[in-house]
Amino acid sequence: MSMQDELKSAVRAALADCDCVIGWGPGPEVLRRSPLFARQEADADLFRADFQAVNNPALFLPEYKGRKVGVVVKGCDARSVGQLVNEGLIRREEVHVIGFPCDGVIDVGKVAARLEGLCEPGEVTSLREEAGAVVLTHPGGELKLEKNDVRADKCGRCRFPNALDADLFIGAPMEPSTGEDPYDDLKALESRPYEERMAFWEREMSRCIRCYACRNACPLCVCRDQCVAVSRDPHWLTQSDGVRDKLFFQIIHASHLAGRCTGCGECERACPVGIPVLLLKRALSRRVEDLFAYRAGIDEGRPPLLTFSLDEPAIKERHW
Amino acid sequence: MSKTKFLSPGALPQWLSELAAKATVYAPRREGRAVVYRPHIEGEAPELALRPTESAKHVLFPRAEALFSFTKQGEAEKSGRRLEVQEPAEPGPAVIFGALSCDARGFLSFDPVYEGSGTDGEARDPYYLKRREKTALVVRACKRPLSTCFCHWVSGGPASGQGADVLATEIEGGFFLQAFTERGDALLDAPSLAEATAEQRAEADKAHCAADKAMGEIPDLGPAQESLLDLFDSAEFWRDRSAHCLSCGACTYLCPTCYCFNITDESSGLAGVRLRSWDNCMSPQFTLEASGHNPRPGKSARLRNRVGHKFSYYPKIHGGRFSCCGCGRCIKSCPSSVDIRKIVLDAIKEVGHV
Amino acid sequence: MSVLAGKELRIVGFLCNWCSYGGADTAGVGRFTQPTDLRIVRVPCSGRINPLFIMKALVNGADGVLVSGCHPRDCHYAEGNYYARRRLEVLKGLLPVLGIDPRRFEYTWVSASEGQRWQHVVESFTGQIHALGPSRRLPAAPELEALLSRAM
Repeated sequence: MSMQDELKSAVRAALADCDCVIGWGPGPEVLRRSPLFARQEADADLFRADFQAVNNPALFLPEYKGRKVGVVVKGCDARSVGQLVNEGLIRREEVHVIGFPCDGVIDVGKVAARLEGLCEPGEVTSLREEAGAVVLTHPGGELKLEKNDVRADKCGRCRFPNALDADLFIGAPMEPSTGEDPYDDLKALESRPYEERMAFWEREMSRCIRCYACRNACPLCVCRDQCVAVSRDPHWLTQSDGVRDKLFFQIIHASHLAGRCTGCGECERACPVGIPVLLLKRALSRRVEDLFAYRAGIDEGRPPLLTFSLDEPAIKERHW
Repeated sequence: MSKTKFLSPGALPQWLSELAAKATVYAPRREGRAVVYRPHIEGEAPELALRPTESAKHVLFPRAEALFSFTKQGEAEKSGRRLEVQEPAEPGPAVIFGALSCDARGFLSFDPVYEGSGTDGEARDPYYLKRREKTALVVRACKRPLSTCFCHWVSGGPASGQGADVLATEIEGGFFLQAFTERGDALLDAPSLAEATAEQRAEADKAHCAADKAMGEIPDLGPAQESLLDLFDSAEFWRDRSAHCLSCGACTYLCPTCYCFNITDESSGLAGVRLRSWDNCMSPQFTLEASGHNPRPGKSARLRNRVGHKFSYYPKIHGGRFSCCGCGRCIKSCPSSVDIRKIVLDAIKEVGHV
Repeated sequence: MSVLAGKELRIVGFLCNWCSYGGADTAGVGRFTQPTDLRIVRVPCSGRINPLFIMKALVNGADGVLVSGCHPRDCHYAEGNYYARRRLEVLKGLLPVLGIDPRRFEYTWVSASEGQRWQHVVESFTGQIHALGPSRRLPAAPELEALLSRAM
């Protein structure tokens, strides 16, 4: 039985005692799948777990707290599930986790860059997978792209391609293709003078439209309708269109995710204008890992900023 | 109102300079992965290969604008305290260059609302209308649709001149320019442009036909208005349509026809500014009442409003015109791939079955 | 004002009520001279300090931010400063990526009796900020300019 068939029967089986099963189904464009919520057995046939299974379905789980739901997860999605469980935002026994080995997911922006001069991503009419590659059909012919060249950046540094702590694992587990995260993206920014880094954010944030897709796509952003970004009292942000407010929201988001962000990258992917907002979260994840040896969604225990210890061996305080 | 001209690619920078001498020119620019409308910088080539990520609505309807600023004068305890109010500067003339047909048609959904239609002009919005009056639109015709495009479903087309002052069509060796308004005629009155020939016009017409042909079939959206009303109370229908919606504002903020706003005072000490800023019905605060009650408590009620407004409530009071120009940005840029076309068609189908 | 004349810089201090604010008071009572760039905000405990207070100050134009609380094991509320220590230490990792020199932010512990130490902390930190000079500020939103120019 192929993995996709295994998935369909796993979904069908899960529906017996689950309110619904969340995974990926057909999307409005060839390159993009849409999150799918199955409630009937017939829906199971629409499920796919493949290169276009981009969205993080863990995002939706807190909404269903109190009811049993099934969820199909990639390695990175499973870490979000783990962190949600760890923080008591969902109950492990209420979630039926179906994991599969993930070979990385598509980054439509990278595909767009490869299609430049040929067409826009929305003009691609079909996609088929070949060993380690995808072949796209577009108005001018076909284009073969190595998956490695068009995978999301997060996939290139993924050390847990197989969902951790799954109730059911379909397909054959695969080896992670990389070791420690080198944080090349952060290092590249940090190799530039401070003024240039701030100018970088000023430029990037200037096209922010304040839609809060970054926030709403974040599985660990749990305040939902009560976000401080829209509160008038306290009044953290004005309603202006200025970069200060726009950047400050990213600072809020990143600081609220410190030690909790699992690096799924949905904030950055969701951004309609492509602002690299994950960088700020990664800066804090790296810091938390350096100081407290804690990786959200992987390591057990309370997130480090929700606890303390009397002696902090990794903290070198300044002596005046 | 029917001037035609020919623009050779080499003359584009000069024409842009000529336009920029008289008005602020906004043109598509690539920034990162996005294409956004920005004030044109001398010598920079507009991004015309890719379709803009955002609509051009912020030129007429800024993301945030000061309606006025105020200062409180005098001591609070004394009755003599005065409020001094300063009006903002008048907007200057502007040209939106390289917009798409759908962008231009988007403003046609704005107009009746901001002209105060149905209120005997009482709700006229001077802020929008002043900019509208002073802004010209140079639209470029599309050649091929994206899979998310559906302008033809909502009485538009890839080369529609509706709402445009000038329509630019790419033909062999340059652009054929056609004016539709006096404002458009004035834009074409430029030394950088050559007279267009009859052959060039014919070639442009042919390009329009080819573009129209590429659009595919048009479903009957006639029953949409009633179907959506019939389904207003169908919790299950909206639960299933909105299950994957993130309730973010990407769709509304990229939409050329979404015109809702919020008004807030941003003050510091005795000085303040009354801001009008974009708002969107996907946000919980949009309907949150002072009591704490929210008549649209969840994303299904919010998505229902967005779809219902565009395809039912707006057309009902604006002569049947959908408040949607079919640009597909809400689909293309939705982080969760919510497809408004599918929701409308599902609604029609669902009611048809009953 | 000398801030506007450019002689002083804008430094914001967040001091806990029980130790560091007392320490600053002790320094004042003892007439220890100090630079006057620092503007102090008194908070109940260093654990009350939302790291966003610091970021808000820095993003809106502060040239430096100083946080001071009770020494570890001396917190009036037993453990507030332990939480603060973790948060503030993590925050330091965010500044460089934003393009803010991390030396613009420091935190320390000063007890109510340490007037002299407080003087030393203020002198050192003010000196550090002067060495860095005024910070580069993000532009304010044009629609708020009227507000900001008159609020000065």
